[in-house]
Amino acid sequence: MTLDVTDVHHGYNGDPVFEEVSLSVSPGEVVAIIGPSGVGKSTLLRLLALFERPDRGRIEYDGTDVWAAPERRRLACRRRIGMVFQTANLFDASIRRNVEYGLRVRRSWLERLKWHLERLTGEAPGTGETLEALDVVGLADSATQNAASLSGGEAQRVAFARALAYDPDVLLLDEPTSDLDPRNTAVIEDAVLEARDREIGVVVATHDMNQAERVADRVAVLLGDGIIEVGETATIFEAPRDERTRKFIDGELIY
Amino acid sequence: MIPGTGALHPLLIEFPFEWTYIRSIVYVSLYVSLIAVALSTLCSLPVALLLGFKEFRGKQLLTSIINTGMGFPSVVVGLVVLFAVSNQGPLGSFELVFTREAMIMSQFVLAAPVITGVSLAAVSSVDQGVRDAAFAIGGTRLDVALVTIKEARYGIATAVLAGFGRAISEVGSVLIVGGNIAGPEGESYTRTLTTAIQLEARQGRFETAMILGALLVVLVLLVNAIVVRLGSDSGGLR
Repeated sequence: MTLDVTDVHHGYNGDPVFEEVSLSVSPGEVVAIIGPSGVGKSTLLRLLALFERPDRGRIEYDGTDVWAAPERRRLACRRRIGMVFQTANLFDASIRRNVEYGLRVRRSWLERLKWHLERLTGEAPGTGETLEALDVVGLADSATQNAASLSGGEAQRVAFARALAYDPDVLLLDEPTSDLDPRNTAVIEDAVLEARDREIGVVVATHDMNQAERVADRVAVLLGDGIIEVGETATIFEAPRDERTRKFIDGELIY
Repeated sequence: MIPGTGALHPLLIEFPFEWTYIRSIVYVSLYVSLIAVALSTLCSLPVALLLGFKEFRGKQLLTSIINTGMGFPSVVVGLVVLFAVSNQGPLGSFELVFTREAMIMSQFVLAAPVITGVSLAAVSSVDQGVRDAAFAIGGTRLDVALVTIKEARYGIATAVLAGFGRAISEVGSVLIVGGNIAGPEGESYTRTLTTAIQLEARQGRFETAMILGALLVVLVLLVNAIVVRLGSDSGGLR
C-alpha cells in the first residue's frame, strides 16, 4: 500500500503547526522524518494514523483520499496501519494479550466470541502470528508474562510486536527509541529493517540523526513551517540542497 | 441497658423466625438490590465514558447533577418515586405502588449517581496513551471504550460495590415505596433485611434485629468477596 500526503496544512486554535507538507511512502521503504523537538513530527504521524483530519490537504492510502471516503472505508485503511508511540502504552494484561489485540479487533463480534471460547478450551487462534511478531523483537519466550512487569525497553519491543502482528502495510513509529538503552534500540532498529524486508512501508519520526542514517532509505526534513527537503539518506546527510538542513544536521541550527 | 438485649448470649438465642421468612427477606433484598445495581451499572458506564472523554453542551450541568445525586437523601428519593408511581404520577397506570419494581426504581436512583461518579474517576484515570494505542491498532470507538473499561476494572468494581452498599443498606426509600409488606404466612413481598431490622427493633425484638443485621453484613461481605475475586481473576490476563 502506498501512502501519499499532499499539501497538508494543520494547526491548533488557529496556530499552524506546519504548512504544505507533502510526502510519499512506498511498500518496503523506510522514510525517516527528522527535525527538532516540537516541530510537529508527532502531529504529522497522528495525521497519517488518521487520529484527526488535517485542516487542509489530502492523505491517500493506495489512491483513496481517506477523509473524503466513507467511515467504513476509512476504518479499513486505518486497519492497514500500525503505530508505535514514544511510550509503549501497553494494556494491563499479558504480553500475548497485548500483541494479539490487533488481530482480535479485526474480527467480527461473533468471531471474537469464538476466539475467547477457543482460548478457554485450548489453543487460541492467532497464537502463531503473535509468537512470530514477538520473535522479531526477541520476546517469544515471555508471552505469558504480565506486561506491567517489563522494563521500558522490553515494553517498547512488545509495542512494536503488537503493531507488527497483524501484518500492516504501513508502520508509523513516533520516536520509538528515544527513551531506550543501546541494546533495546538495536533490537527495534533490526525489527524496522525486518519490517522493510516484509514489504511494509515504514515512517519513523526521530531526532536521532544516527538512527535515521542507519535505518532510512529516504529522509524528510521537517523544519520551520513544513518539510523543506526529501531525499535519499546519503544525499541528505552528505550533500543536502537546503542550507537549513545542513545546519540542522551539523547542530548549528538552534530552535 | 436496652431491654431485651440481656438475652444475647449466643447459646441462649432461640431463633425466632421460620426459615422461609428469613429466606424470603434475603431473597427480596438481593433481588431488588442486585437488579437495581445491574441496571445502574449498565446506564452509568456509558455516561461515565461520555463525561470522561467527550466534550458536549451541558456536561458541567450533568456532572453537577451526578455529584449532587451521590448525596441525595434517600427518603426524598423514596418520596419522589412514590409520587411518580402513585395514581396521580406519570407512571400511575403501571400500578407500581408497594411493589418490588418501585423499590428497584428508588434504589436505581440512589445507586446510579454513586456508580457513575466513582466510575468516572476510574475511567478518567486511564492513560490517554493506552486509548490512543487501542485506536491506532485498529480499534473502533467501541473497542476503545471497552479497553478503557477493562483498564479501569478495579475502579469500576469499587464503584459497583459502593452502589451495591448504598442499595442494600437502604431503609428510608424502600420503606416508603415498598411498604415493608410480608404475607400472612410470613413470606416477604416487599420486606427487605433493612426494613425488617427496623421493624423488629421498633417492636423490641432486639435479638432478631441483631441476627438480621449480622446476616446483612455477611451478605455484603460475600458480595464484596465475589466481586474482588472476579476482579483479581480478570487481572491475571494470560
